[in-house]
Amino acid sequence: MESEKAKLLPFYLVIDVSASMTGDKLKQANAIMPAVVDALSDAPILSDKVRFGVIDFGTDALVRLPLCDLLDENVTLPALNVRGATSYAAAFRLLRDEIESNVKQLKADGFQVHRPAVFFISDGEPTDRDGDWRDAFRDLTENFPTYPNVVPCGVDAANPKTLASLIYPASGPKAMQMYLMQDGQNPADAIAMIAEILISSMLASGQSMAQGSSGLILPAKQDLPNGISAHSSDDFV
Amino acid sequence: MDTSTEAVPTPVPEPEWRGRSEPFQVGDPGRAASLVVPIPDPDGWDRRDTVLDGVALMDGAKKPIAEVRAASVRGLSHRAYGTVRQDEYSFRRTTDGRYLVIGVADGVSAGKLSHKAAIVAARKGAELIAKALTAPNDLTPDNFPWPDLVHAVAGRIERLGRERLAAMGNADAQTMSVRDVAAHIASTVLYAVVDLTPVGGAHVVHLLAVGDTSAWVLREGGRWEPQNAVKNDGAELHSSSVHALPLPPVTDPKPVRTTVAAGEALVLMTDGIGDPLGHGTGAVGRFLADVWAKPPASGLEFAAHIGFARKSFDDDRTAVAFWPVPRA
Repeated sequence: MESEKAKLLPFYLVIDVSASMTGDKLKQANAIMPAVVDALSDAPILSDKVRFGVIDFGTDALVRLPLCDLLDENVTLPALNVRGATSYAAAFRLLRDEIESNVKQLKADGFQVHRPAVFFISDGEPTDRDGDWRDAFRDLTENFPTYPNVVPCGVDAANPKTLASLIYPASGPKAMQMYLMQDGQNPADAIAMIAEILISSMLASGQSMAQGSSGLILPAKQDLPNGISAHSSDDFV
Repeated sequence: MDTSTEAVPTPVPEPEWRGRSEPFQVGDPGRAASLVVPIPDPDGWDRRDTVLDGVALMDGAKKPIAEVRAASVRGLSHRAYGTVRQDEYSFRRTTDGRYLVIGVADGVSAGKLSHKAAIVAARKGAELIAKALTAPNDLTPDNFPWPDLVHAVAGRIERLGRERLAAMGNADAQTMSVRDVAAHIASTVLYAVVDLTPVGGAHVVHLLAVGDTSAWVLREGGRWEPQNAVKNDGAELHSSSVHALPLPPVTDPKPVRTTVAAGEALVLMTDGIGDPLGHGTGAVGRFLADVWAKPPASGLEFAAHIGFARKSFDDDRTAVAFWPVPRA
């Protein structure tokens, strides 16, 4: 039997590329991945145990960067482009499939896998029927043993109430949070700030794993960039 | 030809020194092993990065009974992030010479003061055990009141925690719950009592663990025999919740009895080694079984063994090992 498995934390960025993301917002979205690469290059402890993947969604959802070791020299970062509507349902279904097969593969490759972390960034309301995306979300979370920790992040026209329902787990000792762009903030800048939060969360999580704790750590509220606010699921009901 | 200017070849002098020190690696060492720059903890200047020992225990005729090696090495992550080593070990022989008492403790990382809990658990616990077992006391490892010992150690950690928190300006330090104290200062611990008088060539060992610090006997042929349950066996996803003092264990921990004979080794270790060792059947198990088939020459060598590099394993590493010496 294989023992002594190395520990890995899978980190997914799921990002809205609907038509409204055109322009500076898309530019900032594309800047997230190189920023993550830079952060990992400076953090050898972390880079040994984080895997990163990107899914984008518009009318449909696509795996743009399969879960990988970002510092692997064979990795090519994708260029995100806008396409159509805002199908949360497509994003959640694809994410579930990816997590299921990625976790299975990582375990087969001899790793111990921490609960995956998902940063879900959107600038608008889902265009699916309400029941559709809610069903897909339930299948990703409640009905899924390797459910991820979900951290929704809203910019621009995202509806706080909708995003608040995507915080998972929403309560308990490992409750997640939601990050929202504050009123009057430039949405493109807000995306850059969310990237900062994602990176500091990866760093903190890596540090916490290194110290024997499990999984995802979110930055303290006082450490958030100006222009972004953190909320628990109770804040919007 | 004028040969007067030709250099006479001088014989190369014998080197005046020899030796080398090179890190051990097991499999892929990962990026951290070569890239981490160790930085000090500004709050812990007197907390050493690495401590180690290598001693022999002698009988009345000055013949060795056993070899003991011990080391505690700060993990790569604590080195990278500039925080102190949170593991601790201690060992001591009862004054009557009968027993060796070992304590190995692993401070819970979330607590800023946890290394202090580990120090209390390892040192004070071993001291209390050794005192209680010293003749002419009636206590033996078989009738030892382990729950009382665990309670006493927990109480000391709790008191120390309240004192330190009060000194740090925490107004609630004396009234907060034990659980709140434990958030700042907590440690797992494993004790071993080794009877140094062998019976039929084997030393009886009593083990008591609170939390996931583990004890193993390295049997002949390099087989690792766990003395407690292997962590995370069969878990869907990796998790790392631990029981740690000063929180009282849910049920009284049960002592485990085993034996160790010449040709074998008893090894107590924190999960910094226990996790990569897994079931002892992989590359780390083979590596440690090879290098510990006999006692390493020195504590320094033992420390180098436990400091092996392996990708993603960067926690503090602490082990105390006991090798009985074959008796004539």
